[in-house]
Amino acid sequence: MGDPIMKGKAVPHMIGLFPLGMMSLFFLAPLAFMVVVSFYERDPLGFYKVAFVWDNYSKFFSSFYYVISLRSLWSASLGAVIVVLLAFPAMYIIVDMSRRWQLFWVILLLSLMCLSEVIIGFAWLILFSENSGIPKFLGWAGLWEDPRSLSPSFGAMMVGYVTLGFSLVALMFLPQLARRDRSIEEAALTLGTPPMRVFSKVILPNFKAGLISALVTMFVYFLGVFVMPTMLGRPQDWNMTVIITDKAVGDANMPLGAALSVVMLIFTLIIIGSLAYASRTREQGERS
Amino acid sequence: MILVLKRLFICSIGAGLILPFLIVAGVSVNSASNISFPPQELSMQWYTQLLTEPDWLLPIRNSLIIAFFAGLIAVTIALAANYVLWRLKSGFGKLVFGLGLGPFMLPPIIIAMGASVFWAEMGWYGRAEATVISHGVFFVTLPLVIIARGFAALSDDVIEASRTMGATPWQTFIKVIFPLVLPYAITGYALVAIISVNEYLISYMVSGFAVETLPIRIFNNVRYGYTPVVASAAMGFALLTIGTLLVLSMFTDLLKLLGASRD
Repeated sequence: MGDPIMKGKAVPHMIGLFPLGMMSLFFLAPLAFMVVVSFYERDPLGFYKVAFVWDNYSKFFSSFYYVISLRSLWSASLGAVIVVLLAFPAMYIIVDMSRRWQLFWVILLLSLMCLSEVIIGFAWLILFSENSGIPKFLGWAGLWEDPRSLSPSFGAMMVGYVTLGFSLVALMFLPQLARRDRSIEEAALTLGTPPMRVFSKVILPNFKAGLISALVTMFVYFLGVFVMPTMLGRPQDWNMTVIITDKAVGDANMPLGAALSVVMLIFTLIIIGSLAYASRTREQGERS
Repeated sequence: MILVLKRLFICSIGAGLILPFLIVAGVSVNSASNISFPPQELSMQWYTQLLTEPDWLLPIRNSLIIAFFAGLIAVTIALAANYVLWRLKSGFGKLVFGLGLGPFMLPPIIIAMGASVFWAEMGWYGRAEATVISHGVFFVTLPLVIIARGFAALSDDVIEASRTMGATPWQTFIKVIFPLVLPYAITGYALVAIISVNEYLISYMVSGFAVETLPIRIFNNVRYGYTPVVASAAMGFALLTIGTLLVLSMFTDLLKLLGASRD
């Protein structure tokens, strides 16, 4: 039998050069440029001066950047954990709803996923404001004597994070949960196991890999958010992304912005690499 | 008891997701010139202002043009990468596909910073074309994953039947493969276009204030003192997003496209 579609593999290889070229030129090359520029010197009259200095990297180890880095890690981790803790059970409930309700939820989640950070941040800004939102309602209901604006604050920023990441994580769980084998759960329920116990002892362990993957995805995503910290957080809540943007665009210090981004890139690659290594080791362990 | 708890939980989640937009909608139809809720007197004046003032019209136009072309770039790359993986199933195919997954794995600021430096070096910093290409390349992961489902659903029997009936490879692609993956490609295009319209960080880092998009305009307004026009702009784009998804759901099986049911 010959090839079902095309004789030889020259044509698919040639077609493959297009996505390969586009991704190499406009995805990999910018990352490479960023690494190169991170060694350049700042030029107050332009973008940068060609040089080879380590100054931009040495600044990262000053207490200022060190503290912000730790803060970024903390807020991204917390946001990721909250999002996964909410999205997984929510999607578990949604996939057992009628088709019409599932479609409603999918459209709601997709709409939220597609909406700009700016619009979501703005919506919460209004909800947290003294004149329009939750504080006013609580004051009117007599539950808060002296209602004040709830933002900027760390809590408001976290709410923004969760709204931003919820839809993405929930949609990540959709195929896995919808297509899961329900017979084990049904067997456990038939044998009299309480539903909460089935959820914690049967379902959660089955989705361990998916949960970890969602946690890491969200963590990496939250490391790079800009709008929520600036809109809803206080300056002391700002993450590394805000500082990078501020240095690169606000202070026109591209080399420093690039160096800080490279540090973040290395950190991200270590996380992804560790995850890939851990899952490969686990697969090998299961096979043997 | 468990059922009540489930309903309470899911209703709270739904309320938390919908509430912010109800508030923005309320503010956008309030006649008062300051941001306040609930609306005292209904008015569409902020929508009129949004659609008549050049300060708002230009960013809207910029956002729509960038999204239109970014979607085309992303879907073309995704289609080609999926086709190659489906045909070759080799290291080369996997490499092309894997590269497409890359942007999704990195924090947005790294992508934005890289693009900013790259376009500055190329002399395209501040040009709409730079934002179009960056959006097209960086949002490629979504159509890539969605179109992959389309290729996975292709039956070998159909391809074999087409070949047996004398179709050339090109005819097989155009008449058999492409129509079958088209719904997936359209969904991928729509999602990239919607996300591009709403994207802030890359647009800002690549084009700055030279090519002002709607999210940049809204963000600047919120940061430096805002009027209810911002609410109407936010609401307008939220409605556009939801409307596009509703239309999409009428013509495609969204649940299947997102993997909620077996292909």
